Amino acid sequence: MNDFIVEDCSLVRCATGRACFNLRELLEAARAAGPGVLEHHLMRCALEDHFDLYEFPNDLARWCWDALGDRELAEKLALLNPYVFRDFEKLRGEVVDVLEDHLWSLERFPWSRPGLELHLVESRLISFDTGERFSTLVGMAEAVPRMSRRSLFFHVHEAYRRHGVDDFSAFLEARHAPNELVERLRQIDFYFLNLNQLREKVLEALCAFVAEPRAVLGGAA
Amino acid sequence: MNLLDRYEEVVGRPEIDRLRRLGERLAGKRIVHVNSTRQGGGVAEILGWMIPLMVELGIDARWEVIQGNSDFYRVTKSFHNGLQGLPINLRPADYQLHVDVNEANARHLNLEADVAFIHDPQPIFLPRFTPAGKVGRWIWRCHIDASRPNRGVWKHLSGGIKDYAATVFSMPSFTRPLDRPMFLIPPSIDPLADKNRFLDDSERVQILEKLHVDPDRPMLLQVSRFDRFKDPLGVIEAYRLVKTAHPELQLVLVGGPADDDPEGAEVLKDVMDRAGDDADLHVLLLPPDSHREINALQRSAVIVLQKSLKEGFGLTVTEALWKGKPVIGGATGGIALQVHDYQTGFLVYSPAGAAYRIRYLLRYSDKRQRMGATGHEFVRENFLLTRHLRDYFSMLMWLDHPGTDALAA
Repeated sequence: MNDFIVEDCSLVRCATGRACFNLRELLEAARAAGPGVLEHHLMRCALEDHFDLYEFPNDLARWCWDALGDRELAEKLALLNPYVFRDFEKLRGEVVDVLEDHLWSLERFPWSRPGLELHLVESRLISFDTGERFSTLVGMAEAVPRMSRRSLFFHVHEAYRRHGVDDFSAFLEARHAPNELVERLRQIDFYFLNLNQLREKVLEALCAFVAEPRAVLGGAA
Repeated sequence: MNLLDRYEEVVGRPEIDRLRRLGERLAGKRIVHVNSTRQGGGVAEILGWMIPLMVELGIDARWEVIQGNSDFYRVTKSFHNGLQGLPINLRPADYQLHVDVNEANARHLNLEADVAFIHDPQPIFLPRFTPAGKVGRWIWRCHIDASRPNRGVWKHLSGGIKDYAATVFSMPSFTRPLDRPMFLIPPSIDPLADKNRFLDDSERVQILEKLHVDPDRPMLLQVSRFDRFKDPLGVIEAYRLVKTAHPELQLVLVGGPADDDPEGAEVLKDVMDRAGDDADLHVLLLPPDSHREINALQRSAVIVLQKSLKEGFGLTVTEALWKGKPVIGGATGGIALQVHDYQTGFLVYSPAGAAYRIRYLLRYSDKRQRMGATGHEFVRENFLLTRHLRDYFSMLMWLDHPGTDALAA
């Protein structure tokens, strides 16, 4: 059985040259922007490392809160988990629906504070093999604290986007780890955690089982 | 000790490993950077560290500099202003001179490479006059805010941009729609440079005493040239609003001498007039190579201000955050990317706003410490030169493998 290959990743960002100055322009962008733009502002923004500084899990919610001062819309957008949509156009439809619904109720649409316009960006991901490998649960529990936040993003967020499941639980499941552990990892609400909080949650789950002899797979780490 | 080992002590082994990993994938690639000067200015400073680091990582990197007469640099200085939307006065012959100088340089520069990075507008027409096949891929690296350029200048330069495979800008807000990819690579600081390296306390205090700044009293600092967009008068107003409640407070405004800049001289005069005979308000005119002095002042400040009304990226903010200082900054340009309310400092919109936040931070030393620590880590993760280099390498990897959404290096 193959070892777990610890990957790291880097984001290549491209500007579109376009910006939103008000809520109506955000709605237009949500309708027309390429998938890479929405994906960046809803998902990959977590990788920009500013994430720990913010309360909200995506750029759109944060922009509505900080720049437009529209707290209600920010709350609605923050609650929208893009990872539950397997079809990108359905995700776009949901974002458009939230924005349209909110705009419908407004007498005047809000404008951004000067200097805080939302500049639309798209991004692509480059992954690297870090050279680190492990083959056991103990090895995983030892490796997770050392991993960069980008590695965590790659093995959880990006893995979920690609395969519908995170790499950690998939690896353990293939190694016949206890179902409770696999399920516990899969129940982590990763989108609403920053990457440091995610690390803590993954470790909590692993450490709860590492102490159990039956959970140590494949010999010493 | 080689360069990478020295940086590893600051940024950690994983970051250097990432660079090595990317470097392995690009090993042997011939890269030439072209700009208009080997000394002075931000671009020369970047290339000064980037070329040796690229070479150490196995890249065949070189640096070429175009040559031109004083008329050429007068014209390209106007391009620089025009790209930023300032009024300019150029004749058709000036535009032609720019093209002609590029043609002459294309003949004698050694441009043979897999990738040629052309920095800023001065050498932008080199691809037009370079034989096909000599350069694998041309990339235009624009360090200037080109979001609202003078129309004539943009029309002229965009004629050159069409010969490039891609462009690179520092921030999304510096861009405008182009039919070429616009990669985003923010600038960075060098943690080992004189301006940012660790200073021991005795050296720091010695420098402060030399500058007649009291090392034992709290000090506010703004480092920037004397320019209305940096709002030095707004900073003085904010300081005065706080001074009544905190009489021990000092303000230091540091900039360069404005000998050859009439507008700067006028702003400096206004600043001096406004400062009056306040012995706690220091206006320091330091030569451009006063890196240790700036370092000591930034490390000594209790709060750093960058109350700009218009700003590029704002590397003085990056420098202050790296030194663990909370920053109070104007919500403009790159300041808004670096200053996050209650996390690394505060964005403000008026002198009153700045004064209010100064009072807040003076009152809560624990919050100052926490914001300072957050800011330091924020810069370590995002704005050191190793990230800058990683972005370049990632972009090159990407250009070699277009069309996929995620790429394994």
